[in-house]
Amino acid sequence: MEPRRLCHVLDQSRVILCAGCGGVGKTTIAASLALAGARKGRRVLCLTIDPARRLANALGLERMDTEAKEVEPARLTAAGVRVEGRLTVMMLDPKRTFDDLIVRHASSAAMRDRILQNRVYAHLSSRLAGTQEYMAMEKLLALVHDPGYDLIVLDTPPTSNALDFLDAPGRLISTLDSPMARWITDTFAAPRKSRFDVVARGAALALRGVARLTGAGFIEQVAGFLAELNGLFGGFKRRAEAVSAALRRDDFAYVLVTSPEPASIREVLYFAERLAEHGLRRDVFIVNRVHQAPGATPTVSEVDAALARLGGPADHAAGASCPTLAERIARAAIEEDALARRDRENLRVLDELALGPGELCPIRVLVPAFPADVHDIAALAGIADRIC
Amino acid sequence: MTFPFDRRFLFVTGKGGVGKSTVTAALALALARRGRRVLVATSGARERLSTLFGVAPFTAESRLVAAGVWGVRIDVDAAMREYGGMMLKSRTVYDAVFDSRLVQGFLAGVPGLHEWAILGKVWYHSTETDGAGRHRFDTVIHDAPATGHGLEMLRVPKVIVDLVPPGILRRDAERAWHDLTDPIRSGVVVVALPEELPTTEALELVEALTSELGLPIAAVVANGVLEPLFTPAERQALLAAVPSGLAQPGDVGSSGEAGLMSAARRAIREELQAEHLARLAAVAAAYVELPLLPHGAMSLPGASTLAERFG
Ligand SMILES: Nc1ncnc2c1ncn2[C@@H]1O[C@H](COP(=O)(O)OP(=O)(O)OP(=O)(O)O)[C@@H](O)[C@H]1O
Ligand SMILES: Nc1ncnc2c1ncn2[C@@H]1O[C@H](COP(=O)(O)OP(=O)(O)OP(=O)(O)O)[C@@H](O)[C@H]1O
Ligand SMILES: [Mg+2]
Ligand SMILES: [Mg+2]
Repeated sequence: MEPRRLCHVLDQSRVILCAGCGGVGKTTIAASLALAGARKGRRVLCLTIDPARRLANALGLERMDTEAKEVEPARLTAAGVRVEGRLTVMMLDPKRTFDDLIVRHASSAAMRDRILQNRVYAHLSSRLAGTQEYMAMEKLLALVHDPGYDLIVLDTPPTSNALDFLDAPGRLISTLDSPMARWITDTFAAPRKSRFDVVARGAALALRGVARLTGAGFIEQVAGFLAELNGLFGGFKRRAEAVSAALRRDDFAYVLVTSPEPASIREVLYFAERLAEHGLRRDVFIVNRVHQAPGATPTVSEVDAALARLGGPADHAAGASCPTLAERIARAAIEEDALARRDRENLRVLDELALGPGELCPIRVLVPAFPADVHDIAALAGIADRIC
Repeated sequence: MTFPFDRRFLFVTGKGGVGKSTVTAALALALARRGRRVLVATSGARERLSTLFGVAPFTAESRLVAAGVWGVRIDVDAAMREYGGMMLKSRTVYDAVFDSRLVQGFLAGVPGLHEWAILGKVWYHSTETDGAGRHRFDTVIHDAPATGHGLEMLRVPKVIVDLVPPGILRRDAERAWHDLTDPIRSGVVVVALPEELPTTEALELVEALTSELGLPIAAVVANGVLEPLFTPAERQALLAAVPSGLAQPGDVGSSGEAGLMSAARRAIREELQAEHLARLAAVAAAYVELPLLPHGAMSLPGASTLAERFG
């Protein structure tokens, strides 16, 4: 472990992206990294997705806020945290982001209303495959050149597959920008224009087939929806290229978050390999929620002695058949120790595969499992201390 | 109330990694022990159910994976083709639809289509009969995607019913929706861990399923429950006796004190767990707790142990 090098990443990156599979602690780690950056004097924006309610409240966010909001210095000092720089947080809500984009880019009020009131849009705008990931990238593009921030820390959506955020925008774009979509658009959205090439004839046949399934009029609605969107964003492809270029910037760092569970480690290693295939960087592995060893596994009489010294609790479950309190305390230590050992064992796999000769990822940082959730600034600072 | 074993279709969902596949396997074994023929269906690209049953990876052809339990993997593209094949009787039209890369690319992005192909196929298995008109399976369990995506999947037939003009698609979606919303026939099994976020998400899921979609909840399953070592009074006393800073194991006085620190951390976890279990128990008629198995649950013996908890 070389914590100093994660500090370099915090100092030198423009964007840090936290990825990993569901529930491993991406949002928590992103917030901790942002806090660590702000403590080092940087002006940091943390783009967070679906934070736990209590964490959001601790940072001063309301449930529906999507505006960037500086965490008031008073909140930080109250939690005993001194920040040299500035910490701003912003919640990403894909549906709202989509609506905002439309309101912002629509060329006329009529067009805006047509889209927002399209029935297909109402049901499916935030469900179009890849929208959430696309919107995260869209927000990032809008902010990456903002001179108000030195560092942007980006959380990723809770997908079971950590790769979705890389692949999904592409999938969305290929749907909206596909020859098929364009053809449907031409045919249905602007019915006068007709085309008679072979592709179009095949597609027409296909479409009649699809229309037979969906009943009359539905494909037209979908087409209308896609056409409006495509027109609105002026060529998704160009934006996809911009996203792809942003992902490859030198000052863009990837933090891969995992838990010490074997399934999660397998997933993160697979993810690291895929990043490598995409020609993207892998800068840091953060293993979150690592169980710590208790320091010692005492005998029952040692526990009894400590209980006597500290004036510990009375034995509430006492009875002939139950283990005594001291026995149960000794067992708590043994079980905690077993968890710690198992985690250490599991981490060996990560070390061998990730830090070995192939060197998938140069830095590994461990964050301990705390007994309670991480939902306030002091707890985030506790993690920040560990990582930098 | 005990688990409703008589439903024909069970949809297992919950936050990523909470144990949906494990619960699916345990439920299948519990049902099979009651003499039911059970099909477990999964659609994940990297399904773990076959590992759990200790058999070769599931395929599109259902296979016996344990006594009374069959397994099948739903392949999205195959399901789309098959569905199209059934509906589009004309060969030319069929080929035009499914062999066109243009159309494929487009269909892949049409919202909900993939979800419908999968859900529709699993639901179809629950209606399948043999030559004698007898159901092939007594229960079909869908090891479904995690919360967000799982909810989406369940929403699709309703969206089709609400949005798509009359036609074959709409007719099928209506039939499926009729079955899915029938509390005698179907039910969603919501899996959660007794931790803050998974519990909150499970409660929101139950709310969305019942209020927004009107779907029946078969049961809420709290998985990975730590066996409490201490009574509530002991927990309080332990926390009072042990100085703060106990989140950090490390230099403590004697090993006896290290034990007390460890016990205090355990007490915090047990307190929080009790709080979350109470929240979960309050939202569903049928509620099942599954213990955290010390050696993981990725095996048939593990799943069998959990199966007993369904009563
Ligand atoms: N080191 C830790 N010790 C104890 N609890 C933790 C730790 N890290 C995260 N948690 C808790 O775990 C839960 C999940 O964390 P978080 O929301 O950051 O995960 P995530 O990867 O963003 O999840 P999702 O995939 O749903 O977005 C939260 O309740 C958080 O407080
Ligand atoms: N009761 C339990 N005791 C111990 N380990 C468990 C228990 N339930 C699940 N696990 C373990 O937790 C991990 C995740 O379980 P599982 O694969 O069933 O979750 P899932 O919800 O299906 O995940 P995904 O969202 O990735 O499909 C597995 O390694 C599994 O063995
Ligand atoms: Mg998150
Ligand atoms: Mg699973």
